[in-house]
Amino acid sequence: MTLTPAARDRISAFWMLLPTFLLLFAFYLYPTFYNLELSFTDITLLQLRQGGDPVGFANYAEFLRSPSFLDIAINTVFWLTFVSVSLMLILGLLMALLLNSEFLQRIRMTTFARLVLLVPWATPPVVAVIAWRWLFDPTHGSINEALLWTGLISQPIAFLANLTTVWPAINTIIIWNSTPLVAVSLLAALQTIPEEQIEAAEIDGATRWQNFRFVTLPYLMPTLSILGLMSVIWTFNNFVYVWLATGAGPGTYTNVLATEIYIRAFTDLRIGYSSAIGVVMAVVMAAFGALYFRVSGLMDMQDRVG
Amino acid sequence: MSGIAERRGLAGLVESGGLLLAFALFVIFLLAPAVFVFKGSVENISVSLVASGGGLTLDNYAGILEDGYFHYVFNSLYICVAATGLACMIGLLAAYGLSRYRFPGRAFLFGAIMGGQFFPWIILVNPIFIVFARAGLINSHIGLILCYTAFITPFTIYLLTGYLATIPRSLDEAALMDGASRLQVIVLVIVPTMWPGLVAAATFGFLQSWSEYLLALALITDDGLKTIPLGLYQYFGDVQIDWGAVMAGSVVATLPTLLLFLPLQRKLVAGLTSGAVK
Repeated sequence: MTLTPAARDRISAFWMLLPTFLLLFAFYLYPTFYNLELSFTDITLLQLRQGGDPVGFANYAEFLRSPSFLDIAINTVFWLTFVSVSLMLILGLLMALLLNSEFLQRIRMTTFARLVLLVPWATPPVVAVIAWRWLFDPTHGSINEALLWTGLISQPIAFLANLTTVWPAINTIIIWNSTPLVAVSLLAALQTIPEEQIEAAEIDGATRWQNFRFVTLPYLMPTLSILGLMSVIWTFNNFVYVWLATGAGPGTYTNVLATEIYIRAFTDLRIGYSSAIGVVMAVVMAAFGALYFRVSGLMDMQDRVG
Repeated sequence: MSGIAERRGLAGLVESGGLLLAFALFVIFLLAPAVFVFKGSVENISVSLVASGGGLTLDNYAGILEDGYFHYVFNSLYICVAATGLACMIGLLAAYGLSRYRFPGRAFLFGAIMGGQFFPWIILVNPIFIVFARAGLINSHIGLILCYTAFITPFTIYLLTGYLATIPRSLDEAALMDGASRLQVIVLVIVPTMWPGLVAAATFGFLQSWSEYLLALALITDDGLKTIPLGLYQYFGDVQIDWGAVMAGSVVATLPTLLLFLPLQRKLVAGLTSGAVK
C-alpha cells in the first residue's frame, strides 16, 4: 500500500510480460547460446545424453574450408536470396501499378485482381511447392505438355532435376508464393499518394516516366526498403522451398545454408558441426537484422515528422 | 496513373492492349498452379502415363480419407488452435503491459520481441531437438504446441500493440476508477473493444502454425502424430508419387487458409508495413 504508482506500474508490467519473457528465454535466447556451445563440440545424434567433447574451432574451420562452402554461399546469397527477392520486388511493383491503374478500374477488374493475388498468398509454402512440382513434372506436368504441344521442345524437361533449370524453377516457386504480399503492400502505399501531387507534376509537363520516377517512387521507397529487408531475411533463412522442391539436389547442386544445417544434423547426425554452420548463418542474419531496425526506425521518424 | 482515359486513337489502343496482356499474364501466373492442383484432385491420374481422360471423380478424396489423412488434419487443427490460443493470451498480456505502462527497458524489450519475428528457426532446431530429446518431448504434441506458441507470439504481440494503441487510455482509466482490477479491465473492457484485432492476430497465428514444416519434421517421427505438412509429403515415395492423393490432400490443406485469409488480408498489410509501433 505504500508503493508509489510508478512502482506499482512496474510490478504490474513485470507480471504481464513475464510469460512472454519466459517463452523468449526458453525458445530463443537459451537455444541460441546452447547452439553456440554445441558448435564447439563434436556431439552427434547418437550420443545425445553423454554430450560431445570440446573441439575448439574445428567445426568452423572444417566448414569454412570445405570444398562445398563456396557453392553453398553462392547458392544462398545469389540464387536463393538475391534472385528471388529482386524479382519479387520488381514483379510486386509492376503488379501494384497494374492493380492501381485506371485501366483495371475501367474494365471493372480491380476486386477480381485482388482476389487473384490472394490465392498464392494464402497457399501454404508446402502446398506451393507441390503445385509447382506438379506443373514442372516431366510426365504429367502441364508446362511440359504445353511446350511439347507448341513444338518448342521435343523431349519433356525435368525442370527440378536439370542443372540449368533447377534454380529458376525454385525461384519461380518462391516468387509465386511471396510476391502477392509485396504487391498488396505496395498497392496500399500507392493509394496513399495524394492525387494532386501527380496532377501537379502532369501540369508542369512531367512525362509519365518522370512522374513515376520523381513522384511515385520516392513515396514507395520506405515501403520498398522494409519489404526488401523482410524478404531478404525470410528468404535467406528459408528451408522449406529448397528442401521440398529438390532436397538440395540434384546431388547437392541446390544446397543452401538452411538445408546444409538440416542435412548435417539429421542425415549425417553431426549436431556439433551443424550447429557451427548455424552460428555462421546467425552472424550474417544479425547484420541484416540490425539494418532492418535502422531502416524501420527511420521510417517511424518520417511517420512522426511527416 | 491518370491520363489513360484521355489518350485516344492508335496509341491508346496499343496501350490498352498491352495492359490487357499484362493482366492476362498476371491472372494466368497466379491462378494456374491452384487451378491445376484442383483439377488434378478431381481427376484420375494414372501412375505411369499422362492423365487419362476419365472425367471427374472424387476417388482421390475417398483415397486419402481411407489412408487416414484426416488424422493429420485433426492433429494440425488441434495443435494450431492450442498454440494460437496460448499465443493470444500471452501476447495480449504482453501487449497490454507494453502499451499501457512506462518502465525502463521497454523499448529494448519491444525490440527483442520484434527480433523474434525474423529469427532463423533453422538454427534453433538443433538445440531444441536436444533439449526435447532429453526431456522426452520428441513425438509429443505438447512439445510442438510450445514451439508454435513461441514461434507465433512475437508477431501476435506486434499486431496487438498496434491495435491497443488505437484504444484510448481513458477507457481503461474509467474502468479502473470504478474499482476494476487490471485483469478485469483487460477481460471486460479491452477484449470486447479490440475483438476484431484479436481475431486478426489469432487468424494470423493459426495460419503460421498451420503451414509450419521444419519443426514438425525434426520433432515428430511417429506417423499417428504427424501434422498436415508432413502428411502431405508421405505421398512422395522414393520411386513414384501418388499425385492424386497429393492433389486432394493439398486442396484440403489450403481451403481453410484461403477462407481465413479472405477477411484478413487488408489488416495484415497494415500490420506488416506500418513500421514500429507508436
